[in-house]
Amino acid sequence: MSSLALLHDAAAGAASPADFAAARQQMAFTLGFHIVLASIGIGLPALTLIAEGRALRTGDAVYAELARRWMKAAGVLFAVGAVSGTVLSFEMGTLWPNFMDTYGQVFGAAFALEGIAFFIEAIFMGIYLYGWDRLSPRAHFLTGVPVVVAGLLSASFVLTVNSWMNQPRGFKLVDGKVTDVDPLAAMFNPATPVQAVHLILASLMVCGFLVASVYAVALLRDRKAGRDDRYNRLGFAIPFSLGAVCAPLQILVGDWATRFVADNQPIKFAAMEGVEHTQAGVPFRFAVFEVPDMLSLMLKFDTHATLRGLDAFPADVRPPAEVVKTGFEIMIAIGMLLLGLAAWWALTWFLRRRAGGASGGRAALPWQGWFLRAATLAGAAAVIAMEAGWTVTEVGRQPWIVYGVMRTTEAVNPNPGLRYGLYVVLAVYALLTAAMVSVLRRMRHRPAPPVAAAEPETAGAR
Amino acid sequence: MSLADVAFGLVMVGLSAYLLFGGADFGAGLWHLLSRRRADKDVIEHAMGPVWEANHVWLIFVLVMTWTAFPPIFASVMAAHWVPLSLAALGIVARGSTFVFAKAVPDQGWYAWIFGASSLVTPYCFGAVATTVTTGGTSWLSAAGVYGGVLTTALCAYLAAVYLIWDARRLGDADATLRFQGYAVLSGVVVGLLALPGAVVFGVRSPMLIVSAAAGLASLVLVLRRRYVAVRATGALAVVTVLWGAAETAGLDVAAAAAHDAVLQVVFAALGIGAVVLVPSLLWLYVLFQRSEPPARPRPL
Repeated sequence: MSSLALLHDAAAGAASPADFAAARQQMAFTLGFHIVLASIGIGLPALTLIAEGRALRTGDAVYAELARRWMKAAGVLFAVGAVSGTVLSFEMGTLWPNFMDTYGQVFGAAFALEGIAFFIEAIFMGIYLYGWDRLSPRAHFLTGVPVVVAGLLSASFVLTVNSWMNQPRGFKLVDGKVTDVDPLAAMFNPATPVQAVHLILASLMVCGFLVASVYAVALLRDRKAGRDDRYNRLGFAIPFSLGAVCAPLQILVGDWATRFVADNQPIKFAAMEGVEHTQAGVPFRFAVFEVPDMLSLMLKFDTHATLRGLDAFPADVRPPAEVVKTGFEIMIAIGMLLLGLAAWWALTWFLRRRAGGASGGRAALPWQGWFLRAATLAGAAAVIAMEAGWTVTEVGRQPWIVYGVMRTTEAVNPNPGLRYGLYVVLAVYALLTAAMVSVLRRMRHRPAPPVAAAEPETAGAR
Repeated sequence: MSLADVAFGLVMVGLSAYLLFGGADFGAGLWHLLSRRRADKDVIEHAMGPVWEANHVWLIFVLVMTWTAFPPIFASVMAAHWVPLSLAALGIVARGSTFVFAKAVPDQGWYAWIFGASSLVTPYCFGAVATTVTTGGTSWLSAAGVYGGVLTTALCAYLAAVYLIWDARRLGDADATLRFQGYAVLSGVVVGLLALPGAVVFGVRSPMLIVSAAAGLASLVLVLRRRYVAVRATGALAVVTVLWGAAETAGLDVAAAAAHDAVLQVVFAALGIGAVVLVPSLLWLYVLFQRSEPPARPRPL
């Protein structure tokens, strides 16, 4: 086949450094964009179902209105997520053809499963979005369930491929050719469980805190105007609770992930924690702080334990350590702040309930200005934390595209001009983001629903 | 029949489905751009709304199947044709986003315009690449590439017009029904005039050519006799046989590029299990939104 020959001709000359850098930046940028949309694509249908489920059970019109609005927003965001995910499928080939040529078949089965899950997600999304008036309320609710389940599954399947890039398994390499392929061993590589759980929790946190931050702004406005709008309160409480439940779990999973990396990708760990030299009694360094022996203690439960530093590895296999360390610190810092905010929320609820005031509803939760102001920032913070964590995973794996097996420079498309592709992609995505934000804002400013002011008692049965 | 042949068959099934469903959505976008009438645009938006995302997934299926089952083919085509394929991907982004944006905020006219324009760019690029690969050329800007781009776009427009006649009818819009009938005849004639000489020039000696021509003529008759559902089948056959004929002409050496049997077995098993859920769901989606009249049953909640 002629185009096959073309690739091999072009492969004689490698990509220029500028094109290689552009390919990495384009992948990072488009993936960083998609990861946020995909998080919302998983989380928002779940939030919608919670609201719709409450509406069905209680007949409360405020829940129904929340469900209807979230469903509409989910429709828009799911579409952008689907098409931005498609771009990634293309980039696998247009940017990293040699990676796909050699290893496509090793991890391909996971993508086949992901494809099926995504298909089911898209089918039921269509039914759910357009079936509001065509199905009974109960049937409509049930058609939303596969959207959430398939969304979680497809995210997990995709993650198996990234975990495989960190912990490649299920093949042998003989003279540069892949043999003895075992797709299941590749899929269930040791990094899969921890990475999948870590990312799914992150995506639920991103979606929860992001949606909540929209309503935190509205609640602050309500406070200023002396209004009390139950629609805004519930619109805040449901997604914020989702984020708040995930926050402490994520800290535990993050600890698991860090220990996993320390055992399996020690060089990435050294970069994350800024361990320059191999030594005993390694201090824990965080931003400007330093606690002697602490890192050894945290990792090995022994203050004198020896940890390998970056200098234990040849210079040509070290990742850009500063980027990795900074990303890691940002993620940890934000994770802790979000945990604090979640604790504030939970503690207030617990204390006020115990004090026996109003049961549930308005009085039981913290509506102070400071809490709401912090909650306004929580959405953006969660996004930043997720991107920072993703940077740790990806940049920490460099210079490898497949850890220890294939270098990223070997994978890149040798054809010239990739950097112009990057410029076009940046321009299109900038416009896309602006348009998406503008559309969402305009959807929000539609006339407020008449049910918004209804009180629980008067909302009545259907 | 080897596992590689089965895998290639599955890729062709995916490509055919993408052409027949996704392609029709692109064609619908094209008519959305060309038609000045609000009624036509309503029919198009109504028909595409619930199904376009599922239709789009066929493309993902094709990509994934190709890179898993035939990694060298995927890698070489994507690497060599990264420019038109990147344009196609950006067209997909623009098309999908602006479709939902235009629905969410109908007063912003330029979303609809971008939706139409990107519905033109994407099938053109796909067609140009497909023809370049099929004819063994190197550039999508060659005569073969341009021809393939135009032909594919025209095929999509034809399919969309054929399908939309019934959608307009279903919505009870007699004028739009008549107009889409006209569009179908017009684009059908254009496609026929494009496809047959092209087949001769590029040496397509496939019997598919005859099937396609016959199905095209039958569709013409069926449109004029107002058999709007039957014409969907013959119109689809006329279009998909062009793809099959081209694939036959390309004569790809799939066995040499195929993945290991262990990989293909796992993929087939996954698809088999997935199909149990997928096929009924997909049928339900189409049946639910193709009922002749929209049951007006506004929900209390």
